[in-house]
Amino acid sequence: MKDIAIIGIGVTKFGELFHQSYDDLVRDAAMQAVKDAQISLDDIGAAWLSTAFPEIGVFKGRSGMDLCEPLSLYNIPVTRVSNFCASGADAIRNAVNALHAGECEVAMALGVEKLRDRQPQDSIVKMMVEYGHPFLQKGFTAAGTFAVYANRMMKEFGVTREDISNVSLKNHYHGSLNEKAFYQKPCSLEEVMKSPMVADPLTVLDSCPTTDGAACVILVRAEDVDKKKHNPIFIKGIGLSVSTGWDLPFFDPNHDFLSFEATRVAAKSAYKQAGITKPIDEIDLIEVHDCFSIVELITYEDLGLCKQGEAKDLIRGKETQLGGKIPVNVSGGLLSCGHPVGATGIRMVVEVSNHLRGNAGERQVKNAKRGLTHNIGGPGAIASVIILEN
Amino acid sequence: MSYIKSYGIALAHFRIEDTILNPKGKKDMMKSVCFSDEDVITLAVEATSTIYHQPSTIDAIFFATTSPVFKNRYHASYLADLLNLPQGILTLDFVNSSRSGTDALLLANVLINSGKYKNILVVASDVHFPSIGKELATPFGHAACANLISSEKGIAEITSAKSFSSSLAEEFSYKGKNIQYDLRFSRDAGFKTNLTSSLKNFVSNPKPYDAVILNSLYARMGGGVFSKAGFEEKQFAKDTLASKLGNTGAVHALLLLINELESEKKNILLVDYTNGTNILEVKNNSTGKTKLFQDELKNFELINSYQDYLLLRKAGNFNSSKYETKEMFSSEMMQEREKDTLQYLKGLKCDKCGTIYYLKSTRCKKCKSDKFSVIQLSKTGTVYTFTSEHYFPSSFPPISILVIDLDGGGRMTVQQTNTMYPERNKIEIGSKVKLVLRKMIEHDAKPNYFWKAIPMMS
Repeated sequence: MKDIAIIGIGVTKFGELFHQSYDDLVRDAAMQAVKDAQISLDDIGAAWLSTAFPEIGVFKGRSGMDLCEPLSLYNIPVTRVSNFCASGADAIRNAVNALHAGECEVAMALGVEKLRDRQPQDSIVKMMVEYGHPFLQKGFTAAGTFAVYANRMMKEFGVTREDISNVSLKNHYHGSLNEKAFYQKPCSLEEVMKSPMVADPLTVLDSCPTTDGAACVILVRAEDVDKKKHNPIFIKGIGLSVSTGWDLPFFDPNHDFLSFEATRVAAKSAYKQAGITKPIDEIDLIEVHDCFSIVELITYEDLGLCKQGEAKDLIRGKETQLGGKIPVNVSGGLLSCGHPVGATGIRMVVEVSNHLRGNAGERQVKNAKRGLTHNIGGPGAIASVIILEN
Repeated sequence: MSYIKSYGIALAHFRIEDTILNPKGKKDMMKSVCFSDEDVITLAVEATSTIYHQPSTIDAIFFATTSPVFKNRYHASYLADLLNLPQGILTLDFVNSSRSGTDALLLANVLINSGKYKNILVVASDVHFPSIGKELATPFGHAACANLISSEKGIAEITSAKSFSSSLAEEFSYKGKNIQYDLRFSRDAGFKTNLTSSLKNFVSNPKPYDAVILNSLYARMGGGVFSKAGFEEKQFAKDTLASKLGNTGAVHALLLLINELESEKKNILLVDYTNGTNILEVKNNSTGKTKLFQDELKNFELINSYQDYLLLRKAGNFNSSKYETKEMFSSEMMQEREKDTLQYLKGLKCDKCGTIYYLKSTRCKKCKSDKFSVIQLSKTGTVYTFTSEHYFPSSFPPISILVIDLDGGGRMTVQQTNTMYPERNKIEIGSKVKLVLRKMIEHDAKPNYFWKAIPMMS
């Protein structure tokens, strides 16, 4: 497989962006990326728009059309991608495939979500409460669907409340170094553990906030990179797997609530493409989908950074902190940056690209050559893994 | 001859002491009170859970209550469907009177004796909440009782069942308004006269009975009538349930009967008076080994305060501290087409690897085989993992969600219920639980019942 190169990146600030509309966010991220790639909007031959929850905001993002209108980018194919929290990464995957297939010369993948125009309880919690099956899984919010993993991890592998909270502590520290994060304040272990309970054992500070935000990448085939103009980052592997369903995880007697099969399958595929056999030694930084702090711990194991049951040792040894053996979520992760669902996967790719370019400022991972991004979607059903190199 | 083949009891999990309902209340008196997701339907279903019988052999179901939840819809038909009884069987409701429990029993006896019916399920269920402030002035208590009346021999035989109607009633409601006649007049001309006539007409020899039950609001005034009819004091079976459960309306007479059956009384005369008298003569054949009711009476949780009672009573006050009331989606189409799964707990067993699924699937996730057999899942299991949701709206947040491995295979994720006091109802990984049918969306005006879990009694 030939390499695909990212030649332009753009990301908005994440958070409560009351001054920016959905269209403003699209323009903000897209024009940063276009400028970075030094191309014209009309060079773009096809685009993918990732918005997971159009109904929550302003009815924008139900189709690719909503990318075209704010940019006046008409008469090209644009498709909306929706795959829960893995939507952004899937937009990139679709763009990569189109470049391979020769559909276009320059592709855009843009993720955007406008969630804060409503009260937090009108957003994703509302969907779980008011829609969905009236009986199956009724009573769960997103936090609960991951809290059941936390309780099983604690029982099975001796993971403690402190281990889980230390993920939040680490990511909030990282977030304090990221000027585009929603929360730019470090917190104490006590603050995490004593913040209001959401779903036992996960507290408010173990849970990521859903926010507004957008992120964009421009992609070309590696052979089309203009070395004089571009500072390219290469996509070396991209895996996506749907490994269970919306209801099945909670009704499948073989599911152990200790691992996400989707992550394992997606990682295996991406590692194979990139030729990675010992991820902890061969990868310099990772952006993990820490929607709830427990998910980051489970993902250490699913990505093969350690054996199953040993994730707690990585966090206890501060191996995943900036300066550690393998820094994870130096952006602050979803816990600090916030989670505009459709944008998050692309935001991660932008983050890793900045490190691989050496442009990440205060939180720069030294000598970063290879990075990984990971998203998990739905109740752990969908996962994507992307390997990036400079 | 008709027989009581088997029976089942459902008592509400909570009790409230009269002294909490009203400072003037008597000590050692309690009322049985439903949790916010219970009603006459869920109690009725629970009462039938210990009736061991093939649903396909039941050819009628009768439902009795003073607190109907449906109008223009038969509770008995609804219940027949919930219990997966054959379609098209005789389903009748007996509502409006606290005598309706024995009315149903009486008709069941007549139909069995006609030879045209073999097995009739008689279910009485009562969930009446008096108006606020009148809890001690109005009889109430929440319970259900199910009896399988059969032509086959069972634990007790109904040797006679008669009814003597009355034109007078002491207390009743007319067009929604409560009316009470002059008590001296109505008790003499109503209660005493009717009781005297019924005993005279139906009981020729008072001697053989070792338990005489009088179920009536005026039971205390019935002694004279009975002694005039030749009964002796020692034959009387006192109502020991009223102090434990309150007056359970249409269910009460049936509970008193079961109580005497479990006390191994041999010849029971059940006299049930409300605007007319039903008299049933029951011969006890049971060995007295099963103490289902006695055991059930011991299993309850006390309500701490009148404020907590009000929270329960206003079931549908669907708020959490963090979430305002929201309408939830429910669909009768969905319940109807998915009822094999949702209601009857029919699972699929993979013919190749043996994995048992609660949810339907085309292929086995584990081995990819597409051959399944339908199997009946059990209603008991062990908690595999759990959480408590503090942000999901509920009358009593947080809602505990349990992932349960069912005994015999299959996994379900359901809410825990009866959790008015969560700290007293802590569940852990490995806890044994059982499934009970409860109202799923408490404040929804539509009927929607699904399974929730409660800890198994140790």
